[in-house]
Amino acid sequence: MSIEIKGVTKRFGDFVALDDVNVSIPTGQLTALLGPSGGGKSTLLRVIAGLETADTGHIEIEGVDATRLSPQKRNVGFVFQHYAAFKHMTVAKNVAFGLEIRKRPKDEITDRVHELLQLVHLEQFAHRLPAQLSGGQRQRMALARALAVEPSVLLLDEPFGALDAKVRKELRDWLRRLHDEVHVTTVFVTHDQEEALEVSDEIVVINEGRVEQVGTPDQLYDEPANDFVMSFLGEVTALDGVAIRPHDIEVSTAPLQDRALEGTVARVLRIGFEVRLTVLTLDGEEVHVQLTRTYAHSLGVREGSTVWLTAAAGATTRPVPVAVPA
Amino acid sequence: MTSSATLTRTAPRPPAELRTARPASTLTRSSGIGLGIAMTWFSLLVLIPLCAVVITASAGGWTAFWTTVTNEQTAYAIRLTVSQAALVTLVNVFMGTLIAWVLVRDRFWGKAFLEILIDIPFALPTIVAGLVLLSLYGRDNPLGADVANMPSSVFLAFLFVTLPFVVRTVQPVLQELDRDVEEAAASLGASRFTTFRRVVLPSLVPAITAGAALSFARGVSEYGSLVLLSGNLPFSTEVTSVRILGSIENDNVAAAASTATVLLVISLSVIVLLDVLQRKVGRRA
Repeated sequence: MSIEIKGVTKRFGDFVALDDVNVSIPTGQLTALLGPSGGGKSTLLRVIAGLETADTGHIEIEGVDATRLSPQKRNVGFVFQHYAAFKHMTVAKNVAFGLEIRKRPKDEITDRVHELLQLVHLEQFAHRLPAQLSGGQRQRMALARALAVEPSVLLLDEPFGALDAKVRKELRDWLRRLHDEVHVTTVFVTHDQEEALEVSDEIVVINEGRVEQVGTPDQLYDEPANDFVMSFLGEVTALDGVAIRPHDIEVSTAPLQDRALEGTVARVLRIGFEVRLTVLTLDGEEVHVQLTRTYAHSLGVREGSTVWLTAAAGATTRPVPVAVPA
Repeated sequence: MTSSATLTRTAPRPPAELRTARPASTLTRSSGIGLGIAMTWFSLLVLIPLCAVVITASAGGWTAFWTTVTNEQTAYAIRLTVSQAALVTLVNVFMGTLIAWVLVRDRFWGKAFLEILIDIPFALPTIVAGLVLLSLYGRDNPLGADVANMPSSVFLAFLFVTLPFVVRTVQPVLQELDRDVEEAAASLGASRFTTFRRVVLPSLVPAITAGAALSFARGVSEYGSLVLLSGNLPFSTEVTSVRILGSIENDNVAAAASTATVLLVISLSVIVLLDVLQRKVGRRA
C-alpha cells in the first residue's frame, strides 16, 4: 500500500472536517476521493501532502511515517484546482522549479523539462508565461511541474473543477491515458461522480468527514454500502418500497408479470438519447424511469398512457427508501 | 517516469486551444475624446507648469544655470536632499514590505487600529507632522533623543512622511496573492525563504518599486515636516525645498527655477531607473 491513513481526525474550530479516517491507497493506481463539497475530501488530500496537519492519527507514504514531515520532505506532487502557476516564470521555468530547488545539474534540468513538456504537449509553449495559456494548458503545465520531481504520489485537488465542461471531459480522458503510461500512484479529489466512475481504478467515498465506502467503480455502483453511496453515485427512485435506479425499471404496456405495478405516465421528458418518465402508481407513488429514446418510441408511451413497472433482473436495490435527489 | 522519452510517443494529445491576436489600437471616437480631455487636463496641470519652470531656469543661459546649481550651498542642499531621500526609500522598501506582510498575513489584537495608524502621515498636514516631530525629538523632549538642527532630523522627517507609501502599495498585492502558489512551491521542496525570494517577492516587485518611487519623490519635495525640527542651517540641514524658498525670498526666481529643474531631472531619472529595475527583476526569477 502506497499511502496508509490511520485514525486521522482534523477539526477547524467546531467543524469536524475529518472524523477518524482510515484508508489504504494502493500503489500505482488512480484513486478518486469522491464526495459532496465540504465533506472533507480536500482536507484529507491536504493532510496527505502535509499542507494541513492532522489533529490525531498517522500518515504513511511508501512505508515511511510522514505524520510529522514538512510538505517539503514528503516528495508528493500536488496539483491545485486553480493551477497555482508561478505567474512571473515561463512555462519551462515553472516545470524546472522543483529540480532547481534540488540543485540538479543544468543539462539534466533542461533535458527533463523538455521531456515533461513533450509529455503534456506544451513543448511549443516553453517560453510563454502562464497568463498566455488557456486554463487546460495551465493545468497540464501544473501537472508537468508536479511530475518533474518524480514524486512518490501525485495528488490532484479538483484538478478540472475550474475548466469548462468540454475541456474537462477531454482532460480527464487524457489524465486516464497519461496515468496508464506513467504509473505514479495518483489520488484525485472530485465531487463529480461521473468523473470518478470514468477515470479511477478505485473510489473512496467521503461524506461528513467519514469514509462511507471504498471500492472499484463497479462495486460502488452495483453494491453500494449504504443509501448515501447509492444516491451519490447515481439517480435513485422508489418503486414498491425499494430504492432503485431509474434505468433499472422495466416498463411494459401490458401486465406481463404478477408483481408489476400499474401506473399512469404523468410526464415525459426527452433529453437527447434519453427519455425520462414520471409515473404515478395506483397508490399515488411517484416513480422516475429512464428509457432510451428508441425503446420509449417502440413502447409508444406518452403522457396519460397506462404502464406496468417492474424492477429489472439483477437491478441494484436497497430496502430502505431514500430521498430522491432533485 | 523512468522512460518518459518513449512515453511521449504514445501519450495522448490534448485538444489544441486557440488564442486571438490583439489589435494595435483600441481607440474609438468616444475613447478618442476621452484621451483628448485627459491629455488637455494633464497638460494644464503638469506639462505646461513644468515647461514654464524649465524655461525660467534656462532664461539666463547655460552658464547662469550651471553657476546657480554648482553654488556650494545649493549643491550641498541637493546632495543632502537626494541622499537622505534615497536612504529613506531604501529603509521603506524593507520596513514597508515587512509591515505590509504583518498586516496581511498575521491576525492580532489591535490590527485595525494599526491599519489606521499607518495612514496618519498621509492624513496629517505636514506642518502638524513637523510640530509632532519637534515635540518628540526636539530640545527637552520626553524621549531624550535630541536631533534638532542635525542632518539626521531630515532623515527622520522624511521617514515619517514616507512611511505609508510602500506599505499601501504592497498590501493589496499581497492580499491578492494566492496561497496556493506558496503551497505549490513548498510541496516542490522550496524552503520558506526560497519560496519568498523566488515566488512571492517577484510578484511584489512592481508594487515595491511603485511605493519606492512615490517615497523618493515625496522625500525630495518634503518641506513642512522638517522646517521646524531641522532648523534649516546652510551646509548642515538645509534641504532643496528650503533653498528654493530662500531664492524666491531673495527675488531670484531664476535660481529657484534652476534648482527646481535639477530636482525635476533627478526625480524623473529615479522613476525611470526604478521602472527599468522592476522590469529586469520581474523577468529574471
